Amino acid sequence: MPLPARPDRPPAGPPHARRHAPWPALLAVLLLALLTPLAGSAWAAPVQWLTQARMLPLQPGQAADWSRAQPVQLPDDWATSRPAQQGLVAYRLALPAPVPAAVHGAGDSTLYGLSIERACSVVAVWLNGQMIHEGGRFDEPVSRHCHRPQLVAVPAALLRPEGNVLELRIRGYALAEVSSRQRAGGLSAVEFGRYETVAARHARQLLFAIRLPEVMSGALLLMGSFMFVLGWFNRAQSYLAYFGALMVGWSLLLARLWAGDLPVGNRSAELALAALMAFITLATVQFLMRYAGHRLRWLDVALPAQCLLMPATLLALEPQRLYLASGAWYIALSAQVLAAAVLYLLQARRQRSRQLWPMATLLGVVALSLVVELIAQGWRLHSQVLHVAQLLPALGFLALGLRLVQQYGRALQTAEQTRAELEVRIREATAQIERNFAQLSELKVEQVTERERKRIAADLHDDLGAKLLTIVHTSDSERISTLAREALEEMRLSVRGLTGKPVKLIDALGDWRAEVVSRLQQSGVQSEWSAPSDDEVPQTLSSRAYVQTTRILREAVSNIIKHSGASQCTVRCTIDNGDFQLVVQDNGKGIPTELDGRLDKGHGMASMKGRAKQLQGQCLVESGPGYGTVIRLTLPLEQHTMAR
Amino acid sequence: MNNILLLEDLPEIRAWLKSLVMQVFPHARITECSRVQDALLQVQSLRFDLALCDLGLPDGSGTDVVAKLRDVQPEAQCVVVTIHDDDEHLFPALQAGAYGYILKEQSRELITEQLQRISQGEPPLSPSIARKVIKYFANQNLPQANAMPAVALTERESEVLLRVAKGFTLPEIGVQLGLSRHTIADYVKQIYRKLNVSSRAEAALEAQRLGLFRR
Repeated sequence: MPLPARPDRPPAGPPHARRHAPWPALLAVLLLALLTPLAGSAWAAPVQWLTQARMLPLQPGQAADWSRAQPVQLPDDWATSRPAQQGLVAYRLALPAPVPAAVHGAGDSTLYGLSIERACSVVAVWLNGQMIHEGGRFDEPVSRHCHRPQLVAVPAALLRPEGNVLELRIRGYALAEVSSRQRAGGLSAVEFGRYETVAARHARQLLFAIRLPEVMSGALLLMGSFMFVLGWFNRAQSYLAYFGALMVGWSLLLARLWAGDLPVGNRSAELALAALMAFITLATVQFLMRYAGHRLRWLDVALPAQCLLMPATLLALEPQRLYLASGAWYIALSAQVLAAAVLYLLQARRQRSRQLWPMATLLGVVALSLVVELIAQGWRLHSQVLHVAQLLPALGFLALGLRLVQQYGRALQTAEQTRAELEVRIREATAQIERNFAQLSELKVEQVTERERKRIAADLHDDLGAKLLTIVHTSDSERISTLAREALEEMRLSVRGLTGKPVKLIDALGDWRAEVVSRLQQSGVQSEWSAPSDDEVPQTLSSRAYVQTTRILREAVSNIIKHSGASQCTVRCTIDNGDFQLVVQDNGKGIPTELDGRLDKGHGMASMKGRAKQLQGQCLVESGPGYGTVIRLTLPLEQHTMAR
Repeated sequence: MNNILLLEDLPEIRAWLKSLVMQVFPHARITECSRVQDALLQVQSLRFDLALCDLGLPDGSGTDVVAKLRDVQPEAQCVVVTIHDDDEHLFPALQAGAYGYILKEQSRELITEQLQRISQGEPPLSPSIARKVIKYFANQNLPQANAMPAVALTERESEVLLRVAKGFTLPEIGVQLGLSRHTIADYVKQIYRKLNVSSRAEAALEAQRLGLFRR
């Protein structure tokens, strides 16, 4: 494993963290799932471990002189056995004939397999002088398969019962030329056995060494890009963008495990990896600082500058110093990340963020992975430990990424809700304003109208009224006086209909009673008046309805006084089902039949009916010679209550 | 009724009113005016027993004359003679001290009778005016209208007002309350008087509030 350093990081809960998400539990389940298969290699069918070899460095253009070969014990790590060496090396191993082969002889069709967990950087396999496997390119750019376990099929037909020579040629680099011990040349022990047995073990190794990192790379890249875009367009959540960048960076970092054939040479690839570290550090530190709500301006300059400086220094040094120089840088970068993590945790603790412990756990896991990687630089570790250490941070990032997106989504939801509420409030306020405005303009219109009506009313009184009045009191003809008086009354009622406000029905009843009773009394007609009491009459009448009803009533009383010869009159007012009913009954001589045709002339019946009709009501007249007259006026109350 | 002021701008009506007044009070001396200014001058110099005032006049409102007369000759009876039958026009004149009102277009007989009644201390009172008076005194009794000299209606006066508002005629009310016609008329006069007193106090208070009495 390569990489030393990095980041780790964990962010912790931002101040707006709400509650513990289930992600720590999720992480634990994932871990378990990851570890379980590791425990499953116990059922081992018989395999042979080939650990003895003779090693011979090959010089280009020179024939191999195996007499100069040295015996070595596999695994052979160049980092320890020959730290300064690089180039092409051949290993010869003795491969004993498998037992079944002895039984079945040359006709054995069993397929055998070789599994090489680590052959760095590229391997080719010869069996008894015949090439049976080539793992990649041996010329620059050399394939980089340090992390890829190799599986070689060995047909039984190629195996000789008397013994076999297995030759593995490795092309690798010296520790000094790479930035991680895991990419220095070397060969692990070789496993030999039946193909299916070996293949099964190989598949497991491949899963952890290549497949899972591939999957993680893809997932991180996808999610990282998503979060980067998310953060990019939401400047207030810029930490999302940095976290996205971190994920993308980590995804590229993981690519070192599975991307074997690069179009560039070892030096360029190692430099790019080292530079990637600086980038990841930038993203991590910025993320932690911003997530903690502690933005430092100078970091915005210093970190990118470091991103340029680091590859520049590595480039300036000779290739042999790469390991040392990058190691020094990794320590510096780790320190930065550590400082940011500590600062973040302090901040989170001060803000009593509920994310403190989950985030601290995550940071711890990542830090642990980092330590494992660092240890691996100095000592050989079990490959499975390394695998777990490589994958854990990626898992942690994914979990944190989900958490952040969840927070973001929730914040979005809250914002959306707030916005919706705000919108509702604005709409209400707007409606209120509109209502007020409408009321205001209505009021204004009313005021203007009112003023105008008053002016018209005053003009009518002063001019028309005065002239009619003059006619009333100066005319010699009683008929003309009466007509003028009636005209004056009409005018006044019209003006009142024009300017009047709604009248309470109870008040109207009072007015009508006073007029009817005193007029009848003056004319010597006995009167009886019945009306509902105060609390039964909450309704109001529009001034028009009041005026028209007054006219109808006045007309009816005039008829009684002038024409009926009645001695008694009953007026009954009732309210029934929202209708107002007025019944005027007299005991006079009724309306003569011969008058029926032109009833209206003297009695004004038609105008009474017309007025009732205008008010959506009706006026019925029942009369017959000898039994008086009954006038029934019915008006729907609601409409007049509403109307103004 | 020896001295009568007649304020009316229309000559024909003034003549008609004059003949009518002369019919009721044959021995009276009638001073005719057609403008508010003239009437105010007359009020300063002559004593009147009765004043008939039109409301809408070319140079102002007859209400001013009513108020002036109330001030300088409290014993004079003021009657509003108008073409306006609505309380919006009548009420201010009543507050200013008018003792009753006559609608001009009524028949000669009716006006004659009303004039006689008024002069005998039986002023008319319509339901709408009664309601207005009730409302006026109800507002006077609200706590915020404090600092007002207590001019309140008696229970009986209120009773009469309420019945008038419901449309009962004064004789009917007399029967209902078991009171004589004169007693009822006295209540009505009291009501007019209290309306005037209360209104004047209110006006004075208002003027004070506006700072007119300072300096």
